[in-house]
This record gives sequence, structure tokens and C-alpha cells, in this order.
Amino acid sequence: MTTDFDKLHDGDVINGPSFAVSRESIRLFCDASLDYNPLHLDDDYMKGDFGRTNFGGIIMHGMNNFGLISRMITDWLPPEGVHRRLETRWVKPVRPGDTIQPTASIKARQVTHKSRWVLLDVQVRNQKGEQVAVGEAMVEFPLPKGAAA
Amino acid sequence: MAQAQNFETDFWKDANLRKSWDEIVPGEPRKTQPYLLTQEAIALYCKAVGETNPLYLDEKVAKAGPHGGLVAPPSIHILLMFSCTPADDWMRSPGTINAGQSWSYNTHARPGDTIRLEARALDKFIKRQRLFVVHDNVFFNQHDQVICSGRGQTIRPT
Repeated sequence: MTTDFDKLHDGDVINGPSFAVSRESIRLFCDASLDYNPLHLDDDYMKGDFGRTNFGGIIMHGMNNFGLISRMITDWLPPEGVHRRLETRWVKPVRPGDTIQPTASIKARQVTHKSRWVLLDVQVRNQKGEQVAVGEAMVEFPLPKGAAA
Repeated sequence: MAQAQNFETDFWKDANLRKSWDEIVPGEPRKTQPYLLTQEAIALYCKAVGETNPLYLDEKVAKAGPHGGLVAPPSIHILLMFSCTPADDWMRSPGTINAGQSWSYNTHARPGDTIRLEARALDKFIKRQRLFVVHDNVFFNQHDQVICSGRGQTIRPT
């Protein structure tokens, strides 16, 4: 898909990288993020109930979804583009053996006094097509030097 | 200064020192500590999420790029949250469930930056018998420039 601001359209889709989730990938994310919560490490602990929820085993960090979405956005942007905001919430746990993929679609474009912006709906789905994370992102396409909005 | 190699990976240790939902006071600052961000830490984070962008990993390419040198991916705050807080921070309480986060990005963190965090619980509430805390956070570099700011919701262990 083009990254020329003037040629972008509402509904344009960005496909992010596919990511295979494993015990090893989760452990690596622990080491990289320093988040060693037993939710991600301890099967015995995860046999217990969390209120009305039982995960049945370790789960991937929600922020791993966040990192993948962010990677998709920065990989898509042109060199002058800036990833300005990302908001996500997790709707389903991700487990070892799952394969997840983020996607985004353009929701709106807006020109302000000093810059140009694109709003994106973002989501992550697992191999069954189920949504595991949803949210919204905002990216900036700065005006070319000397240009007025 | 916190360094990853000295990081306590057993989150059960010191668990009794951390504030429970009942003890968390919205508006009260969290204890934080400065953190020296290294290229090694950035590279490990990139590996964990499959980042291969040379602007984060290849000094020669990065130097000729838009930032004039290596930078960290925007989402490096995922690492900074734990590296800029001490072992008794309630974010490390075992069973803490992340319900969602939003972050705004101002400038890139760079290897060699000494990063500090200003953070607090902003709100707490009960919803469907679950105990929620809203937290807000701002990361600064050594020049007092905002790197990024964010807020999130966690479900606290009972």
C-alpha cells in the first residue's frame, strides 16, 4: 500500500508480521522486557483461578501484541512518518502454539494547522481468526519543509 | 542505577513489600530509578518482537538515517517500565493482569540515554468484582525531553 499521504484512503489495509508464539518466545519477551510475572512462566501457578477466569496455562504478555502492532506501523511508515500514538486493549489470551498477526486499516485522515495525521484501527488475530487485541493508532505525516497545510 | 543483569527475576521475592489494591493511593507518585539504556538491551528487545529495522540495529545505516544515529523502537517503554522501577513496585505483584495501555510518542530513546520515569496510580475502581488500577507514566531522557507518555489499566491480584 502507498505511504503517500495524499493517496491514502479510508479502509486501506496494512498487514503486519506473522508471529509464532512459543514458550521460548514468551521467555525471550520476559528477558527483553524484564516482566517476569508468573503469568508468563509458571504453569503450576496458572492452574489456579483468577477471579472467574482460569487461563489453564501460561499466557503471552499482552504487551507483546503491543510491540508487534508498533512494529507493523513503523515498518509501514515512510522515513519521514512518525508513529505518534497507540492504544490497545486485550480481548483474548494468547498461548504457546498460537500464531498471531496484527493488521490495521485507515479510519480517517486529518490535516491540522501544522501537520497531517492518519488514524488507524488496529487489531491482532490468532490462527483461528479470533481477535486477541484491538485498538487505535495515530501517525503523523509532517508537512514537507516550506509547505503550508 | 538499575542494570538488567542485576534485575530480580523472581517476582515472588519482595512480594510482601508491594502495595495491595487497598493500599494504592491514586495520585501518589511511585518510586522510580534512572536507567541507562544500552544498545544490548535495545537489540534484545528487537529480537523478542522480531524487529529487524536497521535504524535500531545497524549503526552505519542509522547514522545516515533520519535520526542521525541509532534509536530504540517506540515501544521500548515496555522494557523501561520495569527497568525504571524498584523491586517493591506494585506493578510486579504476581498475578497483575494488564488490561490495556495507550502511549504517545514524542522523541526516540537512544542507546546511552539515562532515562527517568515519573509515574503514579491515577485511579482505582471495582468492576465486575475485579480490582482495577489506572496508572500513568512519563519517561524523560537526560535532557529532560519527554520520550513518551502513557497510561494503562491493570487488574490487581486479590
